[in-house]
Amino acid sequence: MTAPAAGEDHERAGRSQGINSGAMRAVTGYLRRNSSLLVGLALLFGLIAFAVIGGLFVDPQNARPLSTRPLQPPSWALPFGSDRQGRNLFAVITSGTLLTLRVGLIAGGLGVTIGAALAFVSAYYGGWVDTVLRSIVDVGLTVPNLMVLIVVALMLRQGMTVDVMALVIASLAWLYPARTIRSQVLTLRERAYVEIARLSGVSGPGIIVKEILPNLLPYLMASLVGSVSAAILASIGLDVLGLGVFEAPTLGMTLYWVNFTGAVINGWWWWWLAPIIVVGIIFIGLFLISVGLDEVANPRLRRQV
Amino acid sequence: MENQSWGSGATRRDFIKYSALLASGLALPISLIRVSEAIAAGEIKDVPRNRTLVTVRDGGTDGKFIEHELWSPYVIGSNPQLGGNIIYEPLAFYSAFADKEILWLAEGYSYSPDYKELTVKTRSGITWSDGKPFSAEDVAYSLNTLNELGAKVKWGKDVQEVLDSATAVNANTTLLKFKLPAPRFFNHMLSYKYDIGLHIVPKHIFEGQDWQKFAAFDLEKGYPVTTGPWKVVNVSPTQKVLDRRDSWWGVKAGVAKLPEVERIVLLPDTGEQQLAQGLITNAVDFSTGLQVNTFPTVFKGNSNITTFTGRELPYGNVDWWPTSLYLNCERAPFDNPKFRWAMSYLIDRQTLIDVGWGGSSSLSPLPMPDGSVYKGLQPYFDAAKPLLEKYPTNEFNPGKGAKLLAELGWKKDSSGMYLDASGKPFTLEIISFFDFPSVGPVLVELLRRQGMNATYGQPPDMFDRYFAGNFNGVIFGHGGSVSDPYATLRLYQSSSEAIPGGHLVNLSRWKNAEYDKIVDEVYVTPPSDTTKMKDLWLKAMAIWLPELPDVQLMQFYHRLPMNLTYWKGYPTKDDPYVNPAFFHATYALVLHRLQATT
Amino acid sequence: MPIFYLVKRVGVFLLIVWLAATVNFFLPRLGGENPVAQKIMQQAALGGNLHVGMQGMIKEYEEKFGLTKPLWRQYLTYLADMARFDFNYSIASYPRRVSNMILEGLPWTIALLSVTTVLSFIIGNVLGAFQAWPGAPRWLMLFMPPLLAMSAVPFFLLGLMLVYVVGFTMQLLPLYGGYTSGAIPQWSLSFALDVLRHAILPSLAIILGQLGGWALGMRAMMVTTQGEDYVTFAEAKGLKDGTIFVHYGIRNAMLPQATALALMLGQLISGAVLVEIVFGYPGVGTLLFEGIKGSDYFLVQGIVFIVILGIGLATLILDLIYPLLDPRIISRSV
Repeated sequence: MTAPAAGEDHERAGRSQGINSGAMRAVTGYLRRNSSLLVGLALLFGLIAFAVIGGLFVDPQNARPLSTRPLQPPSWALPFGSDRQGRNLFAVITSGTLLTLRVGLIAGGLGVTIGAALAFVSAYYGGWVDTVLRSIVDVGLTVPNLMVLIVVALMLRQGMTVDVMALVIASLAWLYPARTIRSQVLTLRERAYVEIARLSGVSGPGIIVKEILPNLLPYLMASLVGSVSAAILASIGLDVLGLGVFEAPTLGMTLYWVNFTGAVINGWWWWWLAPIIVVGIIFIGLFLISVGLDEVANPRLRRQV
Repeated sequence: MENQSWGSGATRRDFIKYSALLASGLALPISLIRVSEAIAAGEIKDVPRNRTLVTVRDGGTDGKFIEHELWSPYVIGSNPQLGGNIIYEPLAFYSAFADKEILWLAEGYSYSPDYKELTVKTRSGITWSDGKPFSAEDVAYSLNTLNELGAKVKWGKDVQEVLDSATAVNANTTLLKFKLPAPRFFNHMLSYKYDIGLHIVPKHIFEGQDWQKFAAFDLEKGYPVTTGPWKVVNVSPTQKVLDRRDSWWGVKAGVAKLPEVERIVLLPDTGEQQLAQGLITNAVDFSTGLQVNTFPTVFKGNSNITTFTGRELPYGNVDWWPTSLYLNCERAPFDNPKFRWAMSYLIDRQTLIDVGWGGSSSLSPLPMPDGSVYKGLQPYFDAAKPLLEKYPTNEFNPGKGAKLLAELGWKKDSSGMYLDASGKPFTLEIISFFDFPSVGPVLVELLRRQGMNATYGQPPDMFDRYFAGNFNGVIFGHGGSVSDPYATLRLYQSSSEAIPGGHLVNLSRWKNAEYDKIVDEVYVTPPSDTTKMKDLWLKAMAIWLPELPDVQLMQFYHRLPMNLTYWKGYPTKDDPYVNPAFFHATYALVLHRLQATT
Repeated sequence: MPIFYLVKRVGVFLLIVWLAATVNFFLPRLGGENPVAQKIMQQAALGGNLHVGMQGMIKEYEEKFGLTKPLWRQYLTYLADMARFDFNYSIASYPRRVSNMILEGLPWTIALLSVTTVLSFIIGNVLGAFQAWPGAPRWLMLFMPPLLAMSAVPFFLLGLMLVYVVGFTMQLLPLYGGYTSGAIPQWSLSFALDVLRHAILPSLAIILGQLGGWALGMRAMMVTTQGEDYVTFAEAKGLKDGTIFVHYGIRNAMLPQATALALMLGQLISGAVLVEIVFGYPGVGTLLFEGIKGSDYFLVQGIVFIVILGIGLATLILDLIYPLLDPRIISRSV
């Protein structure tokens, strides 16, 4: 038997007091003990809150060039200063954070969904379906993803937008989750309760949904977080290499400008500090969440850190 | 990167140990091979820093050279800007700034009265770096081979269009016969100016080789063999080292003294930060252009850094390459001159210069570089003044622009952005390369504010698209005239009858048969016949201006930082003896003038 | 080991290599870029001059590179070339041969990546293992979280930061390049030291960036292992803590980690591109990047084929070794 998540115990206990309050207490109680998850979530939600609320104070149009005098250090009027083409960096960072997170979510989310679906099918049914899928995934993981991304970018010529870029990244993002989730499903397939379900006549898809999926949930969440993280990295990478959408004030594009203009050596610290801090928060936050989810999936880890 | 280790199966740590051993085992013998090649190249002298000139140039590829083993000017991958320009010497140099021709390998030249023949006299006593004497045979061989190979090599077609034959009458005289009158051949093809000029190669080395494949590189044999005072000593993707060759012929011939520089190190450009850092720490003497806003940092960090205009804006010199927004004249809506003029009126060039180039540029009314600097062109600018008043190519007038667009049926939608004549939203896709991210997004914003939606990008296949006509808007320059308008006029010629089989590089894809005829006439008119030239020039402008094939933006500046710590004598505003760029074919003139400071 | 298993594994290896090689062939061509035109025009443009022969030159070289032949013929030629390891000429750097270009950059890339990957693998796994061990010293536990946090940041960003802090501000280490500019490569101690000095920052960036992943994975595996019956049995037997840690814990937890290492190889090359660009390192990464941008088919094909072969071989070797160590594998997978 897999160890039930601690939350489940509390939830059952709390059912008498109404499911919602019991669940809430279960979650908060758990969070207090799983500090990584707590800190990670706090960082991310804090950042999103900052971006959304901060975005209310500034016109998003000011993220465009010529909005203000160039190269101004931070002041009351310009909390993050301005860049060399006159963009209001506060507007850039607030809208850019949300844009970058959106790309990550779309690409990562799509990646895990498609990857998981294919993984389930492949692992559960086995046979030639499995072999074909495995081969595709192996080949896909072998070919350097940078190459694919650039080629797809070339094919798209006009009409490259941030969302399109997210789809492009998603086209690669499903490979790794497919492989890893498949391994997990393979492991779980051998467990006793699945065997019992099969013997008692539950259909294939039924087993997948009712027995395997719930036990895989924490793992899937961790996979999602990892996927989002990798997708954000890919989008920042493309932007920094100059292959992104120039008009989108994403964090990656800001880093591209920092690099292009030599902002670091020129002492325009406000220009590079903000995006690096934000990117740092995003990755550290996602990382901590993933660590926390590790613990949810594998309760024995809870003794540590 | 994400990494989760939920794999199945088992293996040993030995696997890792094994692969590491394998990897390092592979690396060792390979690096040994590379290194021993370097040593075999001959004695690698120890040259002190204060006799070394370190220059940095964009290798064309992120921080590395890829053509460092290509030293023939005619293989397609070679780039004369990265060393080839200084080892191969020309028959003459032309300095546009001084409007002066400086004879070098040649002693003199003369055309026949009908300009169908050209006699070039080369000096005696010129020797190649392997000791063999230079003669008219080399000149004739180079020209005839180019003629034969045509499109197979760079410049082959240009020669083929015009040259009939080249013969070495005696050791010092070459007779060129042309298919049609070619009054500009010596100046355009046989002298070095900016990036144009034929390289004369040694017959005894190149004869029998496949010019498309022959890289002329073999350090042990002493290749590349050239007449110049530099020999290639060491190359790699991260640097090229050229040492001074003291046996250079020019000293005895009295052409110039030996350069004081004993070693030249050429490095690839690895980024703005590294460039600035290199200048501040005196690791670099002369580098590729910095961005305008980086100069104050570099000045502060090192009091010995200066530029062509000293420590003041524009921090550099006007280059021969004025920039425009090219609109693809073969596509709607750009095929209508009214649209092109509308775009011209909508652009606030002063803001573009102030924000895009940090104030370090100037307006450019015509696709020719500033006549006050390129003095040969000034009379033509003057002559065109009345026409320019009627057709103000630099005017920022949103009202006029809006009026023209309205005449074309364009209307603004509820958000203030233009819909084209059929009512669809329109976006102008602008692409470019190199330093233009400084300007592109600003241009996009300026257009957007006038209601014209636009985007900017730098796709990796930009050149392919541009050349194939697969573009909408491109920011690019004009590699045309420096002393006489013909070269610029030709940039807009779409077909030529005078030059049968002549291929033209008309990037704007604008076509006008009458204009073509005029340019054909200019081709055979010698530059010295200024009356006829001006007459034809005005006729051409009378057609070109109302059409405005591309929207004029601004001049292009070379903002090259010069480090006075070890070397002085660079060209400056007060002593503009030649265009400073070390990647131009005229760089040798600078090298002969530099003096050590210590 | 049963012949059938061996044959099956080798078969899979060949299949994957062939499939990947096919993708490798078609992918660059899908972009629709004409590499010859791009190169010739770019050359002309950088020089500011456009010589009239360009059109003709483009046709000429397209024929030379066999690009005008029908696609299926180019594909077959490609397969034959790869089988003989004949990587042809580079389009953008003609007449340089792709193999020469690769050999030039390979030592740098392999040296940098193999050393840093091995180091981060070892350090990361050791740290991760300690994390899971109740007997681990206190100071190690404290210094783990910030280290892990740093590794969360993408390593080219770490690289940029290191460059600023250590390079500019503290002027301790060189900013970029494989060796000091102007130094001529020679087989001497001073040159070797110079190379090492230049390798410190890029290596640091990569190691710090990858540590966390390994540490986390190892921690999880260690904990799983520790819960296994055989560890309980070992404890019951009275074996020393240290012995259990190393011989029962680490040895078994390492197994899946090593699998992950083999899988990582593919990611390494992509990652190498970014590091090499940030640090101006003259390796295969930037070569590949430029090749992809310019659609230099032959250069890209050559490099990627080597990568494919490497990964395929690594996986094959793993697959062949597994059953020797865990006999359950064969019975399960066949």
